[in-house]
Amino acid sequence: MDCLEFRRILTATPHSDDPAFVTHRRECAACAAAWERAQAFENELMQALTVPVPEGLVDRILLAQTTGRRQRISRGRRIALSLAASVLVALGIGGVVWQQLDAHSLPALAVAHMPPEIDALNLTKPLTAQAVAAGFAGRNLALRGPVPAGTTYVHDCEVGTYAAVHLVTRRDGEPVVVLYMPDKRVAKTSDFDRHGWVGREMPMGTGSLVLLTDRGTRAPFDAVAADWRKAIQGPGADAEHAPLAP
Amino acid sequence: MKPSDPVLEDVNARQHQFEALTRAHAADLFRFAWWLCGQEALAHDLVQETMLRAWKNIDSLRDADAAKPWLLTILRREHARLYERKRLDLVELEDNVPENAAWADPERQGRTAEIRRAMWKLPKKYREPLLLQTLGGFSCEEIAAELGEKPGAVMTQLFRARQQLKALLDDDREAAHGLS
Repeated sequence: MDCLEFRRILTATPHSDDPAFVTHRRECAACAAAWERAQAFENELMQALTVPVPEGLVDRILLAQTTGRRQRISRGRRIALSLAASVLVALGIGGVVWQQLDAHSLPALAVAHMPPEIDALNLTKPLTAQAVAAGFAGRNLALRGPVPAGTTYVHDCEVGTYAAVHLVTRRDGEPVVVLYMPDKRVAKTSDFDRHGWVGREMPMGTGSLVLLTDRGTRAPFDAVAADWRKAIQGPGADAEHAPLAP
Repeated sequence: MKPSDPVLEDVNARQHQFEALTRAHAADLFRFAWWLCGQEALAHDLVQETMLRAWKNIDSLRDADAAKPWLLTILRREHARLYERKRLDLVELEDNVPENAAWADPERQGRTAEIRRAMWKLPKKYREPLLLQTLGGFSCEEIAAELGEKPGAVMTQLFRARQQLKALLDDDREAAHGLS
């Protein structure tokens, strides 16, 4: 390293510990003197750059940090509480909505229809086919198949807001309530238990058939449903979507 | 919560790390900030913002030796962000000696004051690398990385920074002695 290179490095990086730099400083008195002057200047420079720091700077930073942290924690807690409250409100609203929806479901309406009609379960005398057909005719419906044997009751009713034909069919001596709602079609067959009633709803024709019994068993449902499917949709018409003739 | 709760221990460890970091570097950060903006109150705000940002990202600091460069990098970004946000007249300070307590200290008329005045007259492109080197303790390579330049260019800037600083000080001295 020559003197020119040494002075260039000295000016740019006065504290250099590059071996060649250090060696040249030891070997060249003029450059060593220049290095001494440079170190003195660096000390002055450092002193000038070291401006006074405001008192309490660290404390104020820590205060801001801990305060902000507490605020964030509080905010976090508030958010968590808000979320919890929101969840509860949502659950509450959901529950109310579900109750409303459930209250207007076909099973609920069917079961709610039973108390004033409960005496119909006690009827044992089978109706004539004409009488049953007349009941359907009251809803502008015509049966396509034979009236199921053991039908002891028929009446045109309102189940909730739905027009219905209310029937009772006895199977093995036990009464099964049959509600046919031509204008309300459920999506699929499903069983339900409500308030002591065992039931089943199913799509049939243009509407739905609901079977109910208070005897605690669905055993007669399959046979009763099959009989009424034949009556409503016609013999051999197993397809649920077969239209019911007006 | 029990004292041995790992979550609590982690929180305490982070808090202790932050406090240590603040105590170790707040003063240097303030000085660097002061030389960036020339205003004591603004420098204080910059340091505070820097440390709060550091707190949020303290988990990314793994090496204690890297703390100071890390903090200075945050501070420079905060300063740049502040400048972008407020369009503060911070760059055109070369000809304007800052007026505040740091400047009006008892040494104002001495060598320290001369050097400070000369520092403010340095173009920013020379002043900032010099500050990173002297106050920050950055090497040429680190300054280059920080400023997005090549080490050779930084070397030149540092060389010219000191040359100009000495020239300015000589001019001041000659002016003071009626030689110019």
